[in-house]
Amino acid sequence: MSATQDVEIAQDPAAEPARTFAQVAFSIGTRVLVSALLVTIVVWAFAGIQFDFTNLHQGLISGRHYMAQMFPHNIAELQYASRVLIGNWPYLVQTIQIAIVGTVVGAIPALPLCFLAARTTSLFRPLAVVVKTALNIGRSVPILIYALLTVCIIGLGAPAGAIALAFGSFVMLTKLYAEALESVSPGPVEAVRAVGGSPAQVFVFGMLPQVFPNFISATLYALELNMLSSFVLGFVGAGGIGFNLQNYLRLYQMLDAGVLVFLLIILVNIVDYLSYRIRMLFA
Amino acid sequence: MADQDALVAHEITHRYSKRGPLVLKGVSFTARRGEIVGLIGQSGAGKSTLLRCINGLITPTSGTLLTLGLNVAHLPESARRTVRRRVGMIFQEFNLLDRLTVMKNVLVGRIGYLSTFRSCLHLFPSSDRKKAAECLAMVGLAGFERRRARDLSGGQKQRVAIARAIAQGAEIILGDEATANLDARTTDAIMEILVMLARERNTLVFLSIHDLDIARRYCNRVLGLRGGTLVFDAHPDTLSKDVVEEILK
Repeated sequence: MSATQDVEIAQDPAAEPARTFAQVAFSIGTRVLVSALLVTIVVWAFAGIQFDFTNLHQGLISGRHYMAQMFPHNIAELQYASRVLIGNWPYLVQTIQIAIVGTVVGAIPALPLCFLAARTTSLFRPLAVVVKTALNIGRSVPILIYALLTVCIIGLGAPAGAIALAFGSFVMLTKLYAEALESVSPGPVEAVRAVGGSPAQVFVFGMLPQVFPNFISATLYALELNMLSSFVLGFVGAGGIGFNLQNYLRLYQMLDAGVLVFLLIILVNIVDYLSYRIRMLFA
Repeated sequence: MADQDALVAHEITHRYSKRGPLVLKGVSFTARRGEIVGLIGQSGAGKSTLLRCINGLITPTSGTLLTLGLNVAHLPESARRTVRRRVGMIFQEFNLLDRLTVMKNVLVGRIGYLSTFRSCLHLFPSSDRKKAAECLAMVGLAGFERRRARDLSGGQKQRVAIARAIAQGAEIILGDEATANLDARTTDAIMEILVMLARERNTLVFLSIHDLDIARRYCNRVLGLRGGTLVFDAHPDTLSKDVVEEILK
């Protein structure tokens, strides 16, 4: 487009009606007020917790000391770290098991329910709204709260952790699966209907190939999150390696805690890599 | 209705909602097996709606539409599916299942002949697989069976869609702007296949077309829709400039 045309369009009174002085003043005034309100909220939050950058600096200096203790500095400490690793191995395995069980138990009921939550497949739209609202309420509860509740109900241990993760996975996966269903391209669905496909065939040939990679991807994402969450479930007595990690931190056994944090980083990266490979397989 | 009549439409109308405007307004025509019928008209003239009425994806609001001698509007859904499997449909956007192989996409044309259980487990009989391979060879895609549909060009995808319609055993092939996204050379190749199906298999080919040159070269009859009303029904040679302007105005 030439510069002349730009000018013509800009001058076209139909393109953008001129605003009155009052409208412009109101628009600017609103923006200034909202900006001032946001700044006030930020200041209020910092003042409320007496956040002080000087304390933060001092904390970082002392924190550096503890951080350094988390790494072995000689052969003896390295041998000790390896013994900690071997000793915690069964708890690490249990942590992985909690994450897997939590994800699977959450995904199974999410699969049928997602059809009620998706606008495109729900029996009627108000039902989809009700299901989605219920899911949003479920998602607003942190996983540690679920863990505290399950520990209260079924007692300390790994099953409580797995059930807590299952709740979290269920609400998250139902929503993600429903969103995948809503994003299905109608073309292939219509094509399968057009060749005389029954409703089941329309689902299997028209929808499933489209949503399956997204379902897999969402489930693996839930597994990755659950691997992280299962590490801290032990803090509230819901099984896994988190209980030991909490004890080490309380007793300032920083090398022992460092070994577990190292394990967490390795585990999360392995799961991340495996998830990527599996996603590629089903893409 | 004569044996050779594949489609008989009498005063059909359609509106998408109770208070919505009439998209088709009393359309009447008869189309015979072996014909290549081009359907022309502006966007929104009702071409896609008419095609969807023909294969029973939507039901005419009033009037009678006999597809292969059956009034689809009066049939229960299961019987409608039986009619649909005799009517192949090819789309502008191909509507293939991109993740599936070319072979699986063609086999989708056979699902109407299989039990839901068998088809859902992808347990297609070897005769169906053989037929699908033959259909792919017919459209020049032999050796493409294991390729994924998403890896094909637009022209190849449309050939797969035609192979699916042939595998279906379609007696009518409907095309909804089937060559609109293709280059001239690929369009000619696709049209040659459709001409071959009309001549050798006595298939009625019923295409909504926006390119009048294609209609003149390949169709032996043209229907013109304007605002949901059939305003032209004659041999493409009679499509003068004035007539075209009248249809497309």
